[in-house]
Amino acid sequence: MAVACAVAPADSDELLAGALARDLDAAFERLVIVYRARIVTFVARMLRDDARAEDVAQDVFVRAYHALRTYPPERRGALRLRSWLYAIAHNLTRNVFRDAPPPSDSFDYDDGTPRVAVLDPRPGPETLVLREEAWASVGDAIAELSPALRPAFVLRYVDDLSYDEIAHTLDQPVGTVKASAHRGLLAVRAHLEKNDV
Amino acid sequence: MSETNLTDYGNATRCSVSPDFTAKVFAGCGIDRYVRADSALGAVCVAWGAGGVSAVRLAADELAFETWYADRFGRRVVPAIEDDPISSAARASLRGDDVTVPIDLRDCSPFEQRVLHKAAEISRGNARPYAWVARELGAQDASRAVGNALGRNPVPLLIPCHRVIRADSSVGGYVFGADAKRELLEREGLDFGALENVARRGFRFIANDDGTFCLPTCGDVATRVDLPGYHGLRSAGEAHAHGLVPCVTCRPIAA
Repeated sequence: MAVACAVAPADSDELLAGALARDLDAAFERLVIVYRARIVTFVARMLRDDARAEDVAQDVFVRAYHALRTYPPERRGALRLRSWLYAIAHNLTRNVFRDAPPPSDSFDYDDGTPRVAVLDPRPGPETLVLREEAWASVGDAIAELSPALRPAFVLRYVDDLSYDEIAHTLDQPVGTVKASAHRGLLAVRAHLEKNDV
Repeated sequence: MSETNLTDYGNATRCSVSPDFTAKVFAGCGIDRYVRADSALGAVCVAWGAGGVSAVRLAADELAFETWYADRFGRRVVPAIEDDPISSAARASLRGDDVTVPIDLRDCSPFEQRVLHKAAEISRGNARPYAWVARELGAQDASRAVGNALGRNPVPLLIPCHRVIRADSSVGGYVFGADAKRELLEREGLDFGALENVARRGFRFIANDDGTFCLPTCGDVATRVDLPGYHGLRSAGEAHAHGLVPCVTCRPIAA
C-alpha cells in the first residue's frame, strides 16, 4: 500500500509542535502520519535493508514519543521536529551499523578531513540532473557511499533538508555537513558516469 | 524521458509503509486509539491496539469513554486520525458484514475468555441459555459466573454476548440494557412471541421432522412447533422415548 505524504513545510511543523505541546498523546498520531514514509525511507537508505527499515522506523517513533513525554510543554513546542526526528533515526541506524557493519566497498576516499570546507548552499550547479531510467543506478550509488558521507548526502539531496537542519540532525558543524554532502554528490556523479548512465 | 533532480528521485522512490505501522508504534508507546462507528444500536466508540479491538461502548460521551477505558485497562485511549485494517474490520462487522475482526481479550481472565469465545460461536438468529454456555465449557454449575463474564464483555456486538439468554427465553441482563438486548435479538430474527408460547406450554425442546430435537432458540424452530412433523418436548427423557437424536448445531443436552 503506497502512502503518499506531502513534504511537510516548516510552518506545519510549528503547528504540529504546538499541538504536541498542548496534548502529546492526542497529537502524536499526526506526527507519525506526516513523517512515517520519510523516516522509513531514510532508514532504508541508511541501512540498505528495506526489510528491517520499518521495524527500526517504528522504534524511532516510539523513542521520540518517550522522549517527548519527558520534555516540558514549552520544550515540545519549540522543537525543530524534522531535524530532531531525523537525528533519532540517524542515531538508531548508527547503532544498527555498529551491530552489523555494512560491506566496506565504498569508492570514496574518506580520511576524515573535509576536502571542501565551504560550499555555496544555494541549489544550482551542484544539483544533479537525472533521467528517470537512471533512478535504479542512483540507489546503487547511494548504497555504495561510505557511512560518513551517506547521511549528509541523502538528507541534503534526496530528503531536501537545509544544511542548517542537517547540521542539527547529525550534530556536526554546518561546514562539515556541506563538505560531506558535496563529496557524496561527486561520488554519486562519478558512479553514474562510470556506469555510463 | 523527462529529466528530474535528486529531490524528485527522493519523492518518487519513497518507501511505502505497512497499514499496521501506526498501530505498532502506538503499541510501543502504550496508547490505544478509538474511532466512532455506526452499529445496530447507533454510534459506538471502538478502541483498538496492535493486538485487536479492545473495547466497544455506546458513544454518548467520549470523555466518559476515555475515563472508563483508562480505569478498566490502565492505559490511555485517544481519538484516532486514521483507520487501519483492524478498525476497518470492526466498522464492517458492526455494519453487519460477515468479516473476521481481531479481538484483544488480554484484560479478561482465562474463564472469561472461554465464555466469550463460546458466545462468539452463536450465530445470528440464534440464542443459547446461560446454563448451555456453562455446560459447553464443562462447568455445569457456573451459570452465574457465565453471566458475570458476559457482563464484562469488553467488545459487545463484536462478540455477541446478547445471544446468551435465560432458559425460559427471557432476555436477562445486558451492558446496554435489557430492551436493547431484546431489540437486537428480534432484529436478528429471533421470534419472542413463539418462544414465549413454547415456554408457557412447558416445552424445553422441539422435535423436528427429521428425527432430531433442538433447543427452542435454535434458529426459527420455535415458530414451527405446531406444524406437521414437529412437536414440543417437556424433557430429554421424552426425546429419548421418541428415539430422537440431539441436533448437532444447538447440542440441546449434555453429550
